[in-house]
Amino acid sequence: MTARPVAARPSVAIVAARHGWTLGLAVLLALLLALTKIIQPAFGATGLEALVRAALPFAFATAAMTVVVIAGGIDLSVASMMAVAGVTGAVLMQNAGDGAGALLAVGAVLLVGAAMGATNGLLIVGTRLPDIVVTLAMLFVWEGVALLILRAPGGAATPWLRELVVGPLVIPGLPPAATALVPQALLVLAVILAAIWLPLRRSRLGLGIYAVGSDETAAFRSGVSIGATKVAAYTLAGVLAALGGLSVTLATGIGEPIPGPYLLASVAAVVLGGVALGGGRGGLLGPLLAVFILRVVRLDLTLLAVDPNVTTIIEGTIMAAVVMAGGLLAMRERRS
Amino acid sequence: MTRRISAAAALALAAALGAPAAAQDMFTIGVSNTVQGNGWREQMICAIRAQALDSGQVASLNVAHRNTDAAGQLEDIRNLIQAGVDAIVVNPASPDALNDAIREATAAGIVVVAVDQAVSEESAFVISNDQEQYAYLGARWLFEQLGGEGDVVYMRGAAGASADEDRDRGFRRALEEFPNIRIAQEVFTGWQQDQGKQQMLDYLASGLPVDGVWTSGIDNVIVDAFLESGEPLVPIVGADNAGFVEQLLTVDGLVGAAVTNPGSIGGAGVTLALQILNGESPEERVVTVTPELWTNATEEGRARIEEARNPDLDPEWPVSVSIPGWTTYSMEEIIACRGPGE
Repeated sequence: MTARPVAARPSVAIVAARHGWTLGLAVLLALLLALTKIIQPAFGATGLEALVRAALPFAFATAAMTVVVIAGGIDLSVASMMAVAGVTGAVLMQNAGDGAGALLAVGAVLLVGAAMGATNGLLIVGTRLPDIVVTLAMLFVWEGVALLILRAPGGAATPWLRELVVGPLVIPGLPPAATALVPQALLVLAVILAAIWLPLRRSRLGLGIYAVGSDETAAFRSGVSIGATKVAAYTLAGVLAALGGLSVTLATGIGEPIPGPYLLASVAAVVLGGVALGGGRGGLLGPLLAVFILRVVRLDLTLLAVDPNVTTIIEGTIMAAVVMAGGLLAMRERRS
Repeated sequence: MTRRISAAAALALAAALGAPAAAQDMFTIGVSNTVQGNGWREQMICAIRAQALDSGQVASLNVAHRNTDAAGQLEDIRNLIQAGVDAIVVNPASPDALNDAIREATAAGIVVVAVDQAVSEESAFVISNDQEQYAYLGARWLFEQLGGEGDVVYMRGAAGASADEDRDRGFRRALEEFPNIRIAQEVFTGWQQDQGKQQMLDYLASGLPVDGVWTSGIDNVIVDAFLESGEPLVPIVGADNAGFVEQLLTVDGLVGAAVTNPGSIGGAGVTLALQILNGESPEERVVTVTPELWTNATEEGRARIEEARNPDLDPEWPVSVSIPGWTTYSMEEIIACRGPGE
């Protein structure tokens, strides 16, 4: 009786310390959803679905940003790469028709994303210029490329691909009511990101990305190839950005050459998600929860009919407050 | 951690208490706009607020007004559906990209009115300025003014924007009628004042031959660029923005034309939405407001400009602050920019 809590305490403390930030974000998200339900009692399955569908491009952009930030870099070209991927997808899907050709189009878009990301990475490693300088330049390059591919919004998205992220999850054999609250889009997001992130974290490359971001010299001395790891991280970010661009095209049904507001939003979610901007620390779940938190905040502010010019101030204030609170908590932990 | 959660909750609760309670048999109108901080769009929002207040039929406005893309506008429209509004007035970022969310809204019994630019979704109504005609009128006037011959700088809006594409069609239609007009430079101002001015200063400094300038509404700063660089003025086409209209009357040697493009179309959208909510749908799904051209080169045009000038307005605001038959607010009301419950 007396021994048990003593034995249990350290493990709880370890879990809390390691995942405290993520847990806190999950609680915050749950509270915000509860608040939404209070503000708008009719909020339910369709509201959740709209929320997840709106979050998709932000989630992929944030995942892309997370990988490079953990590797000690930053990718300012993420929204522009999304635009290139989005218009490429729209043009290819328009020509691919309804059948399996659309899958080829998706594959091609992912390759284009990988190529863009690899270009970013190779330039950074090759020129030895700071990541922020190279990717700032590439922001404009990819923006121009997107406009070369499509001068004005156009192209099309394959209907059956668009349907993938519409409606609630249906599991054969289960009554629809059991999964009515789980949007299909959430499943798509979770499956894709898990398929990329989980194997990566356990792989040599994943360890290398954390090691390079944490301390380049130490990583080099332990035999990690710095250049190759960085290029791989940026390539992966390119693929994730391409998925983000595709999700924009699937949401709207056309390709848009002008980049959307995904750059700053993804940096914000990464910071809010507990990833150190210096690199080497953090995971993917925190930033993803942050993406959803930021979307719910936007939804609540709309539901409350808050003055739109005040809305952005509130969004920014919440972000600054949360990150500052996190900094204070971290300082207190270090002291004790 | 608890502290930051309670802080967020307190913030939201404070906002909730501030929100007006919806009165019965009054309507709630949602607004979605994706360009913030542009004079024209700000006038549109103020026209929506003023008309909603003046109509006496709007309990509250729910305005989603921020800089975002079509995907962000899908989110805003869906959030407005969640908010349970009766009608949505939207300035669409794209004619086709919003159709899914618009269909969801109309399926939920919400009246959707697109203003300024059209949407292709059949269940939505559209009230818009005719952008192709806007460009055609101004371009034709400019080419005639030049005697059908010369080098023209073509200063467009934002690359990839649908209004810009529509205007481009109108401009090129006029260009086809004048084979001896050459485009000396074609450039996107992004509808940004500073950018357009710098582009013009660069052209003038480079010695580019310029016989006339067509602008997509970034106009008064182009006149400034000529004046500051000391180059002789050439005919300039702009919109009916207050600053440019003032220049047409006061700048010596400036010959120009202003084409109307009222931001007050937002107020007209509110009127149309209320008509439909009250059971009076228009016969046509698309209602267009035809632009007018005012030039200071003729007595008649000068008189029209004199009548429209308004030094009280922000230089970026169009002087056509109201649309007869569609808006009922006064000049003071739109400048005050107050909506119901504010």
